[in-house]
Amino acid sequence: MIDFGRVQKELQECSKDSQASGIKVSPKADNLARLVGTIPGPIGTPYEGGTFQIDITLPDAYPFQPPKMQFATKVWHPNISSQSGAICLDILKDQWSPALTLKTALLSIQALLSAPEPDDPQDAVVAQQYLKDYQTFVGTARYWTETFAKTSALGVEEKVQRLVEMGFLESLVRSTLDAVGGDENLALEKLCSA
Amino acid sequence: MSKRVLCKFFAHGACLKGEHCEYSHDWTAPQNNVHFCLCRLLQLTRINSLYSILTHLIFAQVCTFYQKGTCTYGNRCRYEHVKASRPWSGASSSSSSSSRTSSQPPISGCVPQVLTSRSGVHCSSTSVEVSSRSRPLGPRNQPAWNRGFEQPDYVDGTDVIESRTVRPADQSICSFAAAGDCPRGEACPHIHGDLCPTCGKHCLHPFRPEEREEHMKTCEKKQKQLEALKLSQEIECSVCLDRVLSKPTAAERKFGILSECDHAFCITCIRNWRSSSPTTGMDVNSSLRACPICRKLSYFVIPSVIWYTSKEEKQEIIDNYKAKLKSIDCKHFNFGDGNCPFGTSCFYKHAYRDGRLEEVVLRHLGAEDGETVIAKDIRLSDFLGDLRIS
Repeated sequence: MIDFGRVQKELQECSKDSQASGIKVSPKADNLARLVGTIPGPIGTPYEGGTFQIDITLPDAYPFQPPKMQFATKVWHPNISSQSGAICLDILKDQWSPALTLKTALLSIQALLSAPEPDDPQDAVVAQQYLKDYQTFVGTARYWTETFAKTSALGVEEKVQRLVEMGFLESLVRSTLDAVGGDENLALEKLCSA
Repeated sequence: MSKRVLCKFFAHGACLKGEHCEYSHDWTAPQNNVHFCLCRLLQLTRINSLYSILTHLIFAQVCTFYQKGTCTYGNRCRYEHVKASRPWSGASSSSSSSSRTSSQPPISGCVPQVLTSRSGVHCSSTSVEVSSRSRPLGPRNQPAWNRGFEQPDYVDGTDVIESRTVRPADQSICSFAAAGDCPRGEACPHIHGDLCPTCGKHCLHPFRPEEREEHMKTCEKKQKQLEALKLSQEIECSVCLDRVLSKPTAAERKFGILSECDHAFCITCIRNWRSSSPTTGMDVNSSLRACPICRKLSYFVIPSVIWYTSKEEKQEIIDNYKAKLKSIDCKHFNFGDGNCPFGTSCFYKHAYRDGRLEEVVLRHLGAEDGETVIAKDIRLSDFLGDLRIS
């Protein structure tokens, strides 16, 4: 049985200093066993400026068993699967301790983003690139951040402003954005093809 | 004349003459009452000489029971309640009491010479009071009751006499003052206790050093315990994030102290963690036996209702716990019938049915590197393992 009292407390604690840490946790539905965590990309890394969403599923024995965490946002990182978003982190596996919380686990993931461990990879392709061609790795990681971790974070007004700056009509930009569901890249493609 | 004497047939409930009897049929007449009682008493005791002694005493209106110590009638007794010997005269009373004071001070001290101010002995009571004033008091007593009473010259009849004659150490302290506030204040006839620095009450007896010390000791201990409890109230379990002592059930309101570190958990949380099934790749000994916070290995958990503030307190809790377990028979050992896997390190009692404790003989073996090791149960596989088959 999940200790919902503790989960409730963790959520409160998280929302208290979410301003300072940038880490947010919110329940997906009414069920507290499924949550979504949000972490900002660490400054000084290719992930800077991105906002990453992590799916959290709490096992029945939580907090005596680690929570299951997976990136919902696509990330280019040696220890995170580029396909599934699975995270290779010891505290989410055999080094879990009940004294750890969702917030500390997310903080550890944030730290993992800034300090990849290519020798203990989750995604072999990314790890290979990291070790052999670091520059390309940084480029790809930045591109993925720009592409997948930024769109949702920006407000509609910013997207509109950017597309207008490219030379499109504001009314057209708005209608196109609405049509593609707010995705800036899709809207740009549509606008260009139109 | 005969009418004044109780009819002996009537006394036995069998006078046939009834109202026409020439002897008295009146129980309530005092002389009859006494006479009848004495008759009965003499019948029982068969000591004739007692009669004259008793009649003399009773008709002299002194309660003999009171003199001996207890009169069941108390204040309602119709005879004079005069303590010790009948005050024949003021002078002799004072001289006799003072001579007794010198020989056995505790008795004369705690027994007031005159407790009553009935008309018959009134004059002698005052004379006793005067004599006690003039009597030179021992140096031990003099400052004692001077300290005890700030107003030695207040007028309050019997209380004065009593307090003057009773040794201060035998007097109890004012219960009102001890509880917090005495409404009589300075005028209170009882001793007001000194202020206890720990509990802040006037409950220290000024003349009983042992009692003072005992009170101070228990008071300090209580205070310490209270403070520890206060501190413990604030402590949160790092696993359930609740305050340990605010848990819903009494069984949960306990700390689980780890032997090797000082991190606080509630007993249920730490036990749950240590007994939880390890997830894949988790090592029981390095993960589950470790403190969830500092990952230091602890081999046992000590339940405690209070959190400690110092190393000594922790040790005391551990020692008490171990001592308690040592008094419980080990169910694995089962009075010698079973086999305890913990062996000599078992916390429980290993005793046989006849009360004899298990004797542990450790077998020391010389290891190859010259050190001695303590042999555990030796298995055949130990030898086979070393065997090299060529």
